[in-house]
Amino acid sequence: MATARLTEPFSRRKSAGIEGEAHELARVLPRLALEARQVSAQVALGIHGRRRAGPGETFWQFRPFTSGEPADRIDWRRSARDDRLYVREREWESASTWWLWVDVSASMGYVSSLALAAKRDRAIVLGFAMADLLVRGGERVGLIGLSPPLSTRAIVPRLAEALLMHGDATGDLPEGPIPGPRDRVLLLSDFILPAEAFAERFHRLTSRGATGTCLMVRDPAETLFPFSGETEFEEAEHGERWRVGNAADMAQRYKERLAAHEAALRVTTTRRGWSFLTHGTDDTAADGLLRLAMLVENGASRAFGAR
Amino acid sequence: MLGLPLVFAAPMVLIALAALPALYFLLRVTPPPPKRIPLPTIPLVKDLVTPERQPARMPWWLLLLRLALAGIAILALAGPLWNPPPVESGAGRGPLVLLIDNGWGAAPDWPKRRDRAITLIETAVDRPVVLRAASEEAAIPTAVNARAAIERLRGLQPVPHSIDRAKQFAALASYAEATPQAEILWLSDRMATGTDEAATRTFIEKLGPRLRIIADERTPVRAIASASNERDAMVVKLVRPASGGESLGIVRALDSKGRPLGEAPFDFAGTAKAEAKIAVPLEVRNDISRLEIADGRSAAAVHLLDAGSQRRRVALVSGETADTNQPLVSGSYFVTNALAPYSTLLEAPRGSTDPIGRMLTDKPEVMVLVDVGTIAGATLDQLTAYVEDGGVLVRFAGSGLAASSDTLLPVRLRRGGRVLGGALSWEKPQRLAPFPAESPFAGLAAPQDVLIERQVLAEPTPTLNERTWAALADGTPLVTATRRGKGLIILFHVTADTSWSNLPLSGLFVDMFRRILPLAVTSGETRETGKELANPRRSLDGFGAFAAPPATAKAIPRNFPGPATRDHPPGFYGPPEATIAVNALAPDTTLPEIDFGAATRLPLNVQPPLDLRPALLIAAFLLFLLDALAVAWLAGLLSRRILTRAATGLLVAALAATLQPPPGKAQTPQAPKAAPTQQDISASLKTRLAYIVTGNREVDETSRLGLETLTRALANRTAFEPGAPVGLDPGKDEMVFYSLVYWPITPDQPVPSETALRRIDQFMKNGGTVIFDTRDATAMRSTAGTTAETRRLRQMLASLDIPEIEEIPRDHVITKTFYLLDRLVGRYAQGETWVEAIPRGASDEKRPARAGDRVSPVIITSTDLAAAWAHDRNGQPRYPMVPNEPRQREMALRAGINLAMYAMTGNYKADQVHIPALLDRLGQ
Repeated sequence: MATARLTEPFSRRKSAGIEGEAHELARVLPRLALEARQVSAQVALGIHGRRRAGPGETFWQFRPFTSGEPADRIDWRRSARDDRLYVREREWESASTWWLWVDVSASMGYVSSLALAAKRDRAIVLGFAMADLLVRGGERVGLIGLSPPLSTRAIVPRLAEALLMHGDATGDLPEGPIPGPRDRVLLLSDFILPAEAFAERFHRLTSRGATGTCLMVRDPAETLFPFSGETEFEEAEHGERWRVGNAADMAQRYKERLAAHEAALRVTTTRRGWSFLTHGTDDTAADGLLRLAMLVENGASRAFGAR
Repeated sequence: MLGLPLVFAAPMVLIALAALPALYFLLRVTPPPPKRIPLPTIPLVKDLVTPERQPARMPWWLLLLRLALAGIAILALAGPLWNPPPVESGAGRGPLVLLIDNGWGAAPDWPKRRDRAITLIETAVDRPVVLRAASEEAAIPTAVNARAAIERLRGLQPVPHSIDRAKQFAALASYAEATPQAEILWLSDRMATGTDEAATRTFIEKLGPRLRIIADERTPVRAIASASNERDAMVVKLVRPASGGESLGIVRALDSKGRPLGEAPFDFAGTAKAEAKIAVPLEVRNDISRLEIADGRSAAAVHLLDAGSQRRRVALVSGETADTNQPLVSGSYFVTNALAPYSTLLEAPRGSTDPIGRMLTDKPEVMVLVDVGTIAGATLDQLTAYVEDGGVLVRFAGSGLAASSDTLLPVRLRRGGRVLGGALSWEKPQRLAPFPAESPFAGLAAPQDVLIERQVLAEPTPTLNERTWAALADGTPLVTATRRGKGLIILFHVTADTSWSNLPLSGLFVDMFRRILPLAVTSGETRETGKELANPRRSLDGFGAFAAPPATAKAIPRNFPGPATRDHPPGFYGPPEATIAVNALAPDTTLPEIDFGAATRLPLNVQPPLDLRPALLIAAFLLFLLDALAVAWLAGLLSRRILTRAATGLLVAALAATLQPPPGKAQTPQAPKAAPTQQDISASLKTRLAYIVTGNREVDETSRLGLETLTRALANRTAFEPGAPVGLDPGKDEMVFYSLVYWPITPDQPVPSETALRRIDQFMKNGGTVIFDTRDATAMRSTAGTTAETRRLRQMLASLDIPEIEEIPRDHVITKTFYLLDRLVGRYAQGETWVEAIPRGASDEKRPARAGDRVSPVIITSTDLAAAWAHDRNGQPRYPMVPNEPRQREMALRAGINLAMYAMTGNYKADQVHIPALLDRLGQ
């Protein structure tokens, strides 16, 4: 039998007010930012760089000059030490723009006794860590509606600041469309909204052709429904209550319904070329980040390979 | 109630059971509260949930549980009683007459009988009660109220003698006649005493159905009828009633101080008689003063023995004059040795003028005269009176007797002796003939190596044969005896020494005396006439335990035949040196049982009533807990795992409550055995040095560091590699694991507790060595007397068993155990060291090393050894040496090594000095 609660900053405690919420977020964000850095450091080695020669700034390798190449590619400093001619190759760096969306609505503050962290905390950690990874990989990362794309080493604090400034304005999904067709998007949310509503807003979002990844963050209590006995459920956003009798009776139907919802979301997103991932807060953040990073890397390779 | 042995103390409470249906309806409408859980995903499943719900109905099993709970609580409040005390004193309002047998036969199960009687009276609480105990004086029965009767009953004890109910029967029968509404109960022990048989029959017939008898089906009584000190065992005869209880049992023999001397089993094997033989040596047997059936619990299960079955007092008078020159071949020496194990010997002091008269004043049972010639004058009269009064006179022949004879002989003797096998005789030395059947010696083997060379001869008379107890192969008597008055005169026709025969050297001589001794009657039995009275000294109570004689006990004549009566309770009478034992039963007693005929019988054993209230309340409480668990589970507060665990616990608790013995029975908790501590375990695995923790941090730290250094030095230089040193608190820690304990003395140290001192004492006795270090060598010089440390040490040692000590001599083995040292120095070069003094033998002078047989348990020094050894973590010495002589610190360490090796090896090094001698002897 699991117990559950809503975490402080995004609970519906109106008395705390928006200002209070901002304070709370300010209190937890440094910790989350730090965690994001730590988590990204664990994963960094896995996807660092493109690992091949190409257009870029940083040195990759010297290779022997082959005849027919433009002579200005020759690295004379290196070649002077030897009888042969060398070409300095740079690592392939391609800057694309990543847009990040982290849902910090009230429902994301949910944490049960089975979970390691609140959904919102996990989403922020994953999002920021991913941003850190991407920036280190040479990409530019922005927060949809909150921050322009940046390519700075201090991306995590910058994003945290932006989130802090406008943190109360986010919902399950961003409202407007993503600008560029070549921009890539990472949506981190629990997607608690009817599948039809999701489809409608998702189409509006991707109307300009942006592709990306949806990561659905779920608390294990939400997926497993480990409740029994006479129960009254409390909804997160508006505080509505639902009395269900013996909770164990509806567990089966609940699970079926959630599975159907997830399937519908997956169909909606993959049809547009997006990928759809789920992450439970009972897994570690590093685990989630690794899966996310692999997906992003593969997607990127595929994208560049196709180009 | 309903044919069940169940009653309620407050049956009106049961009406509340009618309210249970109301409870049923009340309970059904109250649902358990839901619990509130936040769940953000719930909007996704909105349509699965109906916001308004019917209040949950209580599950049927919970309802049942609660109804059972309420029902049990009501039942418990009603005070149910299982097996209520039966109402046996009928509904009559007349007086209840209760006759209780309280002879020894009632003693084994007396508490049961008394409780039964109390229960009987309690049920007749508003009626007058006539309570009679069978042992009481018959008086006109008077009724008292029940409370007073119970009081009397509680004070009533079984009497140690047989009871005679005849008078009580008569009194009660007439009382019953006078008060026709009286109800008569007889709590009987079923033992017919012989004297009241007719009265019993009359009583039962007369009262007819008005009399009801409470008696057991079986009589668990077993008694000792008699005991006799036979040749090879103490034979105990036991009796029991025909329907008696257990067949098997054990008879125990105790001496006068209550110490067990032996025991023997017996088996009635379905009969009413049994026999037990306590086969212990005669010497031990003579000390038996009390025989008892183990677990007999009655006066008749105890048999007291007095001097009659005990050692005989034998007076020995020797007429030999020269025997002081060669005492080990004198006749009195042989007689003394033959008699000493089996009797109490009295000897006249040498040189007394009238030894026989003097010995007679001691009133011996047997008088042995060794080669006393003629007895005459006043002595003859005294001795004659003694024999006629029951004394046994044993005489040995001798040159004196051969020359002249007197009247105190069993046969007339011919003047002069007979010499067999001498130079002047044709005859060969004679062997013994087999003993005549009527002789007390019958059955003894006549060894063929006993040769008689000389004897005195009896004049042949017609009575000679019957007076002959032992004869030679040619028929001449060797031992003759005759009765004189109540006594006996026995004559050995040879001397008591080996000059006439080698009989005194043979085992037969001893056996003959052993046969003679029981023939002597003891002073208590018949020698004294009935004129003298013996006062009661110790009496048995009804249960067979010794007690002071009751006020009613009267003195008995010395020839009191027994058995015990009311006036003469069983026990010991008379002064300790001439004790008379009186027993509850006569030797020929049988234990017949009363035939109750057609009288109404009630059982003696009734089940005690069982109060069901505690059990019911426990059940109700457990149900309540179960209910609480169930509610918690319904509300979802509990996981299934916790629930299972709690339910298991509840089940175990329920079982425990069921199996719990009825309340009120004391249980003796077993003393927990102290578990070995971790320190004990590690100490037993590795040899370690140890020090005593004084409580002074500085000193303790020094001790530890010092011993650590010493431990390292030992490991480096010797074969002894001790573990890390240990600090000990003698009050708490076990010391047996250590062999050397260093004990610095501080003046402010508390004197060890009694436990600690005993432990230290034990440690030193078991071969441990304690080094007491007063650390005051310099102070001692300046104060020129005792320092505070020394005083404290003396205070501590005052209660220990410390051997004599001496300053370490130069040749003490302690200076040789590893290094050769002149003296033991510590931080102070001056101080002295003391060890257990070794006795100095003459041969020790040349030996370079001496040691006692054991390690000195105590070494007392004032040189502050640990401070000399102590190094801090950096290996720097912690204290300066005084005076700082060049190798003083090294010498101190060597002293420590020598001390440790001394504690470990003892006098080994002292024995090494013998090696040259041993090698020399081996021819090397």
